[in-house]
Amino acid sequence: MTSTQGDLMSSAESTTVTRPKRRRRTGRPVGLMMPALILTALMFVIPIVSTVVRVVGDGGSGLTRLFSTPDFAQVMFNTVKWTVGATIGAMVIGYAGGIVLRAKQIRLSGLWRSLIMVPWIIPGVVGATIWRWSLSTDYGLVNRYLMDLGIVSQPVHWLSDPSMVLWSVMVIQIWVTAPFVVLMVSAALAGIPEERYEAARLDGASSLKILWYITLPGIRTTTAVAALNLAIWALNSFTIIWVTTSGGPAGASTILPILLYQAFQNGDDSLVYAVSILQLAIGTVCAVLFARTMRTDLREQS
Amino acid sequence: MSRRSATRIATGFGMWFLLAALLVWSLGPVAVVLFTSFKGSSEIYSANAHLLPDSWTLQNYVTVFTSSNTLRALLNSLIVGLLAAIATLIFCFSAGYALARFRFRSSRPLALFLLLGQVVPLTVVLLPLYQIIRSLNLLDSVVGVAMAHLVITVPLVTWMMRNQIAAVPIELEEAAQIDGGNRLDAVTYITLPVIFPGLVAAGMFAFLQSWHEFLFASVLTSSTAARTGPVALTEFATEFNVDWGATMAASVVLTVPVIILFVLLQRHFIGGLTGGAVKG
Repeated sequence: MTSTQGDLMSSAESTTVTRPKRRRRTGRPVGLMMPALILTALMFVIPIVSTVVRVVGDGGSGLTRLFSTPDFAQVMFNTVKWTVGATIGAMVIGYAGGIVLRAKQIRLSGLWRSLIMVPWIIPGVVGATIWRWSLSTDYGLVNRYLMDLGIVSQPVHWLSDPSMVLWSVMVIQIWVTAPFVVLMVSAALAGIPEERYEAARLDGASSLKILWYITLPGIRTTTAVAALNLAIWALNSFTIIWVTTSGGPAGASTILPILLYQAFQNGDDSLVYAVSILQLAIGTVCAVLFARTMRTDLREQS
Repeated sequence: MSRRSATRIATGFGMWFLLAALLVWSLGPVAVVLFTSFKGSSEIYSANAHLLPDSWTLQNYVTVFTSSNTLRALLNSLIVGLLAAIATLIFCFSAGYALARFRFRSSRPLALFLLLGQVVPLTVVLLPLYQIIRSLNLLDSVVGVAMAHLVITVPLVTWMMRNQIAAVPIELEEAAQIDGGNRLDAVTYITLPVIFPGLVAAGMFAFLQSWHEFLFASVLTSSTAARTGPVALTEFATEFNVDWGATMAASVVLTVPVIILFVLLQRHFIGGLTGGAVKG
């Protein structure tokens, strides 16, 4: 699976950089590209351009309004907290899972991997609904079991307590995205040559040292790609929060995409464009990082 | 017993323990929804709930299929998914072929452009896309929703197609052309059949993405005529008296096709996921 990724990237590069001499015909296959290009233009370029045009066109009044909203600081703080927390949480669980699946003692790892993938493959709305029910204050099994175990003494208001809600929805996002990291890490681990481990063992390295000096550096690129993907997903995430809390209570779980959607529902187009351009700016930073990570990856492979 | 083998046994034990914890974390909530869907309402709203139903009942499933619009929503989801998958394959096969077989000046920027289409937040295109679909008079129609879903599927599937076509040696096509066929014949009789399994996988993949999608589907539909499964599911749960039993049953019904497709095309699916990554 790393190989899939490797293939994708290295072959992507071979189209353009290594330039095989014989196999490829030069030509102008613009006709073939047209359908996809028109579509992409219609769906990405026009929206982005119209967003920029609208924001510039109204003299930035939408942006001014956005920045002067009293809740704006809270939304940004929520967005950062949510993105960082969800990314770190999914990375930790994903790494643990990836290492476990590759452990020599574990048999049937293919089966376990498929089962661990379940939260990732079920529809987002279903995942959110499942958790909304499990976290319900009065009937939810999470509270029930925590009380049986004596961890909490009375039902926790997971989704209705403003100081708790962002952490609760973060758990859901981690639950959904961690399998992706498990998959990537376990695939990347398979790509580390066995000889490296043997050499380290012959030198008498401890398991902890092997983990620190061989395993983790060996999957560094995967770590970067996975972390970036997680951050992008968290930044753009809508369904989980919307289905469980709609951004509430009192905006305690509102992040940028939720704010945008609320403005959309209110028909406040200039605010929608203002949030859009902010999201685009953040997205551009991610895209640049993404492209650079890919490049590093290609260099390491060659 | 040497210290070394003791350590090894302890590590093995620890690994199995970690795996068990991971499985409970991943599957516990799924078990909750599955078992709750078979509980009667008195049991669902009992203060002393536990995981397994005391008495199993199909009542929730009966409710879902007879006294709700879920069946219609599932049918809409199916149509939207098929439309999106077919359109995706047509667009992406031609684009993937161009990227795999031709070298032209703009191929690198074009390829990168398609790849970066993944990073653009979906909410950012929401309003312009809504306006485009509205101006085409396709609001609240399955065609409009399917069109919107192409935003998600096309960038990714183009890459899948490109890689599959690149893996077919061009000599095969050249041989067919030497035998007197033109390029279209070569593609039709050689390349297409060779990558057919990959084509099916890509189509199913696009279908799944469409089946999952919630944001566009909820914005672009307003009546049961075009409402898809995920949107219908949230309608269950936004009413004042949430019928949690029926909601759980509908969740299961919405997930079953996904599980079936996943089992069928696990290999391709995982390759596609890690290959280009997917929008969340």
